[in-house]
Amino acid sequence: MAETSRLAGTKRGRGDEEIGADSNSNADSDPRQALGLENNLTFSDTLVALQMMRSQFPSVEKVTIQPFILQSQLYSSVKDRTQVDRDLESLKKEKVLRVFKLSTGQDDHAIMFMEDYLKQMASSVKRFEKEKQHDLEVFEWFKTYVMESKLDVCIAHQELCSLLSHGGEVTDRHVTLLISAGLLTRQLIDPNMYWFAIPNIGSILKGLSQGRKELLSLLNRRKYKEMPLAPLEKKRLRLSPLDMRFHLRDLIGSGHLKSLQTPAGIIVRVAKD
Amino acid sequence: MWKEVRDRETGTLLPLSLVRRLRSRRLAALQLSNRKEIVSPHHGAVNSLQVDLTEGRYLLSGASDGSAAVYDIQHTTDYDGGLIAKHKNLFVVDKQHNHGHKFAISTAIWYPIDTGLFITGSFDHHVKVWDTNMIQVVMDFKMPGKVYGTAMSSIATAHMLIATGSADVQVRLCDIASGAFTHTLSGHRDGVMSLEWSTSSEWILMTGGCDGAIRFWDIRRAGCFCVLDQSRSQLGRRPPFSQGTPKRDFIASTVSTGKSSFEKTPVSQKRMPVGNGKKQLTTSRKNQNVSGGPSTQRLHPGMSSSHNRATAHYGAVTGLRATSDGMYLLSSGSDSRLRLWDIESGCNTLVNFEAMRLQTSKAIQLAAFQDSSLVFVPSMASVKAYDMWSGTNLGTFRGHYELVNCCYFNLQDQELYTGSNDRQILVWSPSIPAVTVMEEDDKKGQTLSTDRDNWSD
Repeated sequence: MAETSRLAGTKRGRGDEEIGADSNSNADSDPRQALGLENNLTFSDTLVALQMMRSQFPSVEKVTIQPFILQSQLYSSVKDRTQVDRDLESLKKEKVLRVFKLSTGQDDHAIMFMEDYLKQMASSVKRFEKEKQHDLEVFEWFKTYVMESKLDVCIAHQELCSLLSHGGEVTDRHVTLLISAGLLTRQLIDPNMYWFAIPNIGSILKGLSQGRKELLSLLNRRKYKEMPLAPLEKKRLRLSPLDMRFHLRDLIGSGHLKSLQTPAGIIVRVAKD
Repeated sequence: MWKEVRDRETGTLLPLSLVRRLRSRRLAALQLSNRKEIVSPHHGAVNSLQVDLTEGRYLLSGASDGSAAVYDIQHTTDYDGGLIAKHKNLFVVDKQHNHGHKFAISTAIWYPIDTGLFITGSFDHHVKVWDTNMIQVVMDFKMPGKVYGTAMSSIATAHMLIATGSADVQVRLCDIASGAFTHTLSGHRDGVMSLEWSTSSEWILMTGGCDGAIRFWDIRRAGCFCVLDQSRSQLGRRPPFSQGTPKRDFIASTVSTGKSSFEKTPVSQKRMPVGNGKKQLTTSRKNQNVSGGPSTQRLHPGMSSSHNRATAHYGAVTGLRATSDGMYLLSSGSDSRLRLWDIESGCNTLVNFEAMRLQTSKAIQLAAFQDSSLVFVPSMASVKAYDMWSGTNLGTFRGHYELVNCCYFNLQDQELYTGSNDRQILVWSPSIPAVTVMEEDDKKGQTLSTDRDNWSD
């Protein structure tokens, strides 16, 4: 646990140490209750890293969005990737968090704590309630039947309808409502499968991919394609609402950037192959 | 090293431990060989490499210019400067050969029983069987699409079938004995890029397709009996014992009741945890009116898995390799992930092989060496070695100038052969050759002739 805090600490700015520790202790109380009584006492390293990154999620002005963590960020802050995968799998089964496949890039996954996701869903449903008054019970059915039983990132049309029908008569309009609320997305390759999605996340995803490109081009333009971490962290990205630390963790975890220890501190370099 | 041999004699060290120690020491010192070189006659990217399974002496390579060549890797043809042994090809078959392939050769494999025959598959839709000594085509099979991969079972005693995967959705099995296609396996929804016979059973074939699915076929029955799903996972090498047994009874009962069509079996919709049985019926419905329901035709029980759309990778499956004990399967996909599957339970063992970039358009050839738990993966312009169980990167072999397509690990000499788009075949060997260690022990004062300066007088 000390190792993860040290690793994560190197990515923070200098003044953030205390703030991080405070919000960490606040975040501690929520997952303890979510985990139940059996595993209350021990935290896996992955869970600590997830909570710390959740507390460091940048606040975006225009869109209200609950904090989410990218899977590549998790890989960069915990040493053993296999253990991270296995911990994620067991946390998924305990319904502490949910994993979503994002449409940016090949293997992007976003992790969101269950209570954050429910809050996000509630805020998106509230927007719908202002416009339409009918067929809104499908959101309740979705929350109680589909979310509880289907823990995957995707779901087939058949299964979705049969799960929703536990609540009542399901028609195509209900499914359309779920898609327009942003809770489900059609898969491009297969018309019968849907991805679970985080509602209202579109602008953030656009900012994510643009921010990645901007950061990579920033480093690629330099003569030796590297830069020390301290001044790099202070820069602001023009095109992305998310902060530099978010993007750095993401790119280091996905292998596009490498961080090296040097006598002058940590240096971030573009990975060659 | 001699102390260890003495320990083995006296019984302090077990023989197997000595073997393992020597092997792992040599593997840890693997680098670009400065004593051996293979002279490649190819004018195109090297796509496939294989050392023959009977003697471990002849290396067969297939390239994108339609040429296939055989090299003797144990005996050299000539020396260069007294130090580097050059291995030239024993013969080349290329486009000038009257029955040679017209387009790129994507795969070249040896007949597993002896080196008298070898098989090549090419983008000109043909699979040809060659006689090595006469260098003539003995048999020719025409496929409906570009051939991406071929495989023959090395443990087969009752059949001599070549499994071929092409751009067509069906996998065809060609029989050398009769010269005809014996089986057509349908189930994939896109071309089949990689094939691998099981190392524990001569009847089981594993195929990976461009649709991202890995299917297991028993060629004695119809249809595939297992489709690997990346979301079904187990934590650890083997599934936990307690969860395995009750589910098996449940699955057995549904299989026996669901004989004719899948829509009649009332499979419960609750998500089943880890460690399930083989026949996965993912679609079922209650008696409600659901739009877009399944078709009402009756399906053969073997074909019901064709509706199973589980994917093993988010892109195409570009490489498959089974471990020698037949219990685990490694698969690489164009989503740049390498996954380790437990064949018995059909689950993803969730071993995360650290960040690698894999090429997406071509099939790549992986090498797995289970005794030392090593996996070699061609990753862009280098070859990366990983530990099989923890996924840590143990080393990167950089030497090629362009994308590496294939790698083959020779267990006898602990040498790695890699072929890439830059038309070269590189040899990676342990930098501590056992011979010089022994020589230095015997003749203490005598230095090797290579160390002496030739120019000073």
